[in-house]
Amino acid sequence: MARMKFYCDAERCIECNACVTACKNEHEIPWGVNRRRVVTIKDGQQGERSLSVACMHCSDAPCAAVCPVDCFYTTDDGVVLHDKDICIGCGYCFYACPFGAPQFPENAAFSSRGKMDKCTFCAGGPEDDHSSDEYKKYGRNRLAEGKLPLCAEMCSTKALLAGDANMLSDIYRKRIINRGASVLNWGVNYDKVKLNT
Amino acid sequence: MLKQNMVSPVGDILKFLSILMLLVITVISQPTFAAVEGEPEGVIMKNPGADLWREVRQRNIAIEGISQIKSVDSGILINPEADRWTRFRVDQLVNYAAIILAGLALLLLVFYLLRGKIKVEGGLSRQMLHRFSDYERVLHWTLAIVFLFLAITGLTLLLGRTFLIPLFGQEFFSLLASSSKEGHNLFGPIFFASLIMMILRFVKRNIYEKGDLTWLVKGGGIIGKSHVSGGFFNMGEKTWYWIVILIGLLISVSGLILVSPNFGQGRVIMELSHIVHVISAIILIAVSFGHMYLGSVGTEGALESMKTGYVDVNWAESHHDRWAKECRDNNRVISADKFNRLQGKINSGTEESGSVAVEGNK
Ligand code: HEM
Ligand code: SF4
Ligand code: SF4
Repeated sequence: MARMKFYCDAERCIECNACVTACKNEHEIPWGVNRRRVVTIKDGQQGERSLSVACMHCSDAPCAAVCPVDCFYTTDDGVVLHDKDICIGCGYCFYACPFGAPQFPENAAFSSRGKMDKCTFCAGGPEDDHSSDEYKKYGRNRLAEGKLPLCAEMCSTKALLAGDANMLSDIYRKRIINRGASVLNWGVNYDKVKLNT
Repeated sequence: MLKQNMVSPVGDILKFLSILMLLVITVISQPTFAAVEGEPEGVIMKNPGADLWREVRQRNIAIEGISQIKSVDSGILINPEADRWTRFRVDQLVNYAAIILAGLALLLLVFYLLRGKIKVEGGLSRQMLHRFSDYERVLHWTLAIVFLFLAITGLTLLLGRTFLIPLFGQEFFSLLASSSKEGHNLFGPIFFASLIMMILRFVKRNIYEKGDLTWLVKGGGIIGKSHVSGGFFNMGEKTWYWIVILIGLLISVSGLILVSPNFGQGRVIMELSHIVHVISAIILIAVSFGHMYLGSVGTEGALESMKTGYVDVNWAESHHDRWAKECRDNNRVISADKFNRLQGKINSGTEESGSVAVEGNK
């Protein structure tokens, strides 16, 4: 079985936020919830980089460890999913996740938390594949259609990669070899440079 | 290659010697090399990759970038507190809470079997003293019931996965946990409000005074059989009061930070609040076991004061001698007849006789 992973190449991401938009549109995600986001570090400074981040589908997922109702499960593809019928919207997974992946739509009263929503690696949920229930709760199940997550599929610079972990590492390794390591900055004349790593 | 070298030590030594020679040559030739070239020194570039990942993750602080997604903490790529919080809750909190509370309950049971009920010295006199007003009793029971409700719902969230899912199954437990969460969130603020009223009403009588030390020295009369001295509240009760107030305030403030996620408080603040909330909750629940024990089966006559508002004079002598003396000096002792009449009067709206049991519903 494959071990599904996301990888975002910081040297390629141009912060266009297309992955964020594609995800929202594909799964008809409610207002205020973003399963994916792009974070820019050193904005406007030398060495500015952007990274697109969503659920990382951890092998030993902290969210699953803290959930008081134990509603997470990992698919055969290594995708971390949860059951919204069981979730009580307590927010503990949001405290446990290092990446801030779990999201909460606001309930009406006192804006308490609704049921948790997060990136599914476009793999739906526990309902039957392609059922309308599944679509309503979790969005489209592209993996069952034999497709990869839309965010990565439509990334224009192919910064965001999604798929089997081994294949992703192969692609990235080739990039590094061609680039001559990722330690070099654009626009610097390296003829006169000593690398001090 | 590597294996071949390993089996021939001669090859190894040769390799080592040649590396050594190379090193020596490089070191010796360095200054001459620079002098001969005579070129300006190169610009020293730090590895931009290292800088990047430093900005992404630090061991101790969450660093913030910017994101077009505008929500709390959306600029933080990796929150290092998340892992610490997870470890604490999963590896420590759940286990220790269960062990501490179960162990304490067991300990009290053993204590009860050994010590039994602490009897009122000289038996009940049927002469009464007025101790708590209706308002004070309603306040006490409101706080007590809300506290118990919050403790049960909170512990359901904390320990349910370990102890209740195997019993009830996931689906039913999800329902239970969901109502626990909603109930806990709703009654939390009521606990806070009752706590504030508790402070206002009882604080004067709970300030420590000189005689309290004697009480402490004599172990509160729980251990030995000797007479202990106390005012309206004795030293033990006062200490319980201050534990309730101080830890209760900690629980309330941290709870209120957790209850509504929309004041812009980030994850790190909520993780800390959660830790403060649960540790203080466990402490308060543990101490409350002692209070509930002493207030009911542990001490003869203690529950009466919170049921009817009146206490037996001999009970007061045993546990609050200074207060009992003050009452006697001021002629506040009520005879058994008058007490029964008073109880009857309070109940005059109903057909019931003025028995104490009925008063419990007040
Ligand atoms: C002002 C009063 C209080 C407020 C606002 C409050 C609020 C909260 C909140 C928001 C949570 C997080 C879970 C949830 O969303 O339901 C929580 C958990 C909890 N609370 Fe409270 N609470 C209060 C008082 C208490 C009291 C008096 C106790 C115990 C006697 C208590 C014990 C607990 C426990 C054990 C948890 C579970 C933590 C876990 O599962 O990790 N709380 N409380
Ligand atoms: S929600 Fe967070 S902790 Fe859970 S699998 Fe995804 S990245 Fe990991
Ligand atoms: S919000 Fe839902 S999924 Fe997250 S920990 Fe709570 S019950 Fe589990």
